Amino acid sequence: MNLVQQLINGMVLGHAYALIAIGWTVLLGVARLVNFGHGQIYMLAAFVTWWAVAGLGLPYPAAILVAMLAGVLIGLIMQAAMLRLTFAQDLVSIMIVTLGFGHMMRGIAGLVFGGHPQVLETPLSWIDFEIAGAWVTAQDLAIILVAILFFALLHFVLERGALGRTARMVAEDPKLAQLAGIDVRRVYFAVFAFEGAAVALAASLVAPRTPILTSIGFEEVIVTFVVVVLGGIGSVAGSYVAGLGLGIFTALFGGFVSPAYATTAAFGVLIVVLVLRPSGLALGAGRGAR
Amino acid sequence: MTRPVLEARDLRVAYGGNVALDIPHLAIAPGELVGVVGANGAGKSTLVNALLGWSRGAPRVSGSVRLDGEEIGGLPPHSRVRQGLTLVPEGGAVFMRLTVADNIAAASAPASSGRRGHDEEEVYALFPRLRERLHHAASALSGGERQMLAIARALRLGPRVLLLDEPSIGLAPRLVADVLRTVRGLVDENLSVLLVEQNVRAAIEVVDRLILLERGHILAQGPAAAMRDDPRILAAYLGEAVA
Ligand SMILES: Nc1ncnc2c1ncn2[C@@H]1O[C@H](COP(=O)(O)OP(=O)(O)OP(=O)(O)O)[C@@H](O)[C@H]1O
Ligand SMILES: [Mg+2]
Repeated sequence: MNLVQQLINGMVLGHAYALIAIGWTVLLGVARLVNFGHGQIYMLAAFVTWWAVAGLGLPYPAAILVAMLAGVLIGLIMQAAMLRLTFAQDLVSIMIVTLGFGHMMRGIAGLVFGGHPQVLETPLSWIDFEIAGAWVTAQDLAIILVAILFFALLHFVLERGALGRTARMVAEDPKLAQLAGIDVRRVYFAVFAFEGAAVALAASLVAPRTPILTSIGFEEVIVTFVVVVLGGIGSVAGSYVAGLGLGIFTALFGGFVSPAYATTAAFGVLIVVLVLRPSGLALGAGRGAR
Repeated sequence: MTRPVLEARDLRVAYGGNVALDIPHLAIAPGELVGVVGANGAGKSTLVNALLGWSRGAPRVSGSVRLDGEEIGGLPPHSRVRQGLTLVPEGGAVFMRLTVADNIAAASAPASSGRRGHDEEEVYALFPRLRERLHHAASALSGGERQMLAIARALRLGPRVLLLDEPSIGLAPRLVADVLRTVRGLVDENLSVLLVEQNVRAAIEVVDRLILLERGHILAQGPAAAMRDDPRILAAYLGEAVA
């Protein structure tokens, strides 16, 4: 295992992690909400992408859009069910309801897509590049590129302009935001739709790297958790840095120490960081959706 | 009498089983400044909040609220705000993490409403102090500056009726007079205001009409001049012996 290969793997993994986590980051940063069905939306979206390509014969980019649409739909349904809890900011109930949704999604996926592992073949997986003796696929490059574009766009939208300000107002005080004429309900729906679309986008890009099973999604939730917390709860830029850092750490640890204990080590790092710096790594920690 | 700009009928608010407010009728004329006074827990905040259908808690609110003759009682708070009913709630209603400039910029009358709120220059002309603190986070403002910012934000929304819940709380006596005089000035330019004020002595100087609330009911109301000598006001709030 050479270092360049591990670094490239880490870069790919890191951008994948950041992309998988971004929906949660915004969810937490704007709406102070959590979604423990996040991993199962990932799983469902992976299946939907596979089904759109293998079953419907759609081209890969169109399949990504179909998966994102499914993600939006799931997000809207979940938020519709939780609206009252959301307004009450009843986090414990929301946690349980979203966990329940996750399990239901897993059951539905089992019914609809069956128990067999599926492999999503994309045209990009077949294209390889060699960089300094290391290999990278076009699929991997697509993950990096899309993640960077997505984060840049989101950062731009939330940092400037009225939309970002509205997000920060709702994040700080939803009741007061109502008095500013903001339809907070709509913001909550939009945020959950975004969460669904973002994790679906991540799934349709990242899932081709591994077989798709109804049991996937758990690891993605754990990764999301680590990225969101390390990035400084709700910070967009922080999540990017944290995702990248976690990816490179996991790749290096896996390549040079032990792949079996990479996740364990990542949690070790998380605990150390949390104990030493309770607000996470990002400078903008705790400042809402930034 | 001209048609009231704001009119409520059978306004009832209950927290659980406790009825906190029961008001058969309340009206504000265009360009009128109405003061609401009463002891702690009398229902003053409950009243102004209920007119907007807004609360930090979860009360049951019933009754009719009309703005310019149009029923708004069933609308969610943000819709009422867009229709021109604006509330500055109790205790510094500003976004702490936003700068003063962002707090001001974030509030503006919806383009579709046809109303024009105060523009940023007018707001700073009214509260020059805010201009000096433009790029500070609102959390860095003093209590009085925060009240000014809260009022400024409300004015930006271009209200037809402004509900103010104790805008002078925590302000130095001289600032209280300043704020009340500012409110009076806005009313003279034809804004209608319902003003909750603990400081009865100061309020009575500027309001047109005064409403005295007690345990969720209107105990007395009348023109400021008459209420000044009302024994119930005198006894309860001015601490003077009733002759
Ligand atoms: N969130 C709530 N839950 C339960 N009861 C409430 C709530 N808010 C107010 N009340 C009750 O409603 C009544 C009226 O309260 P309100 O806040 O309107 O009084 P107020 O006149 O504004 O008093 P103050 O001068 O202290 O601001 C009180 O008896 C209070 O205990
Ligand atoms: Mg009050």
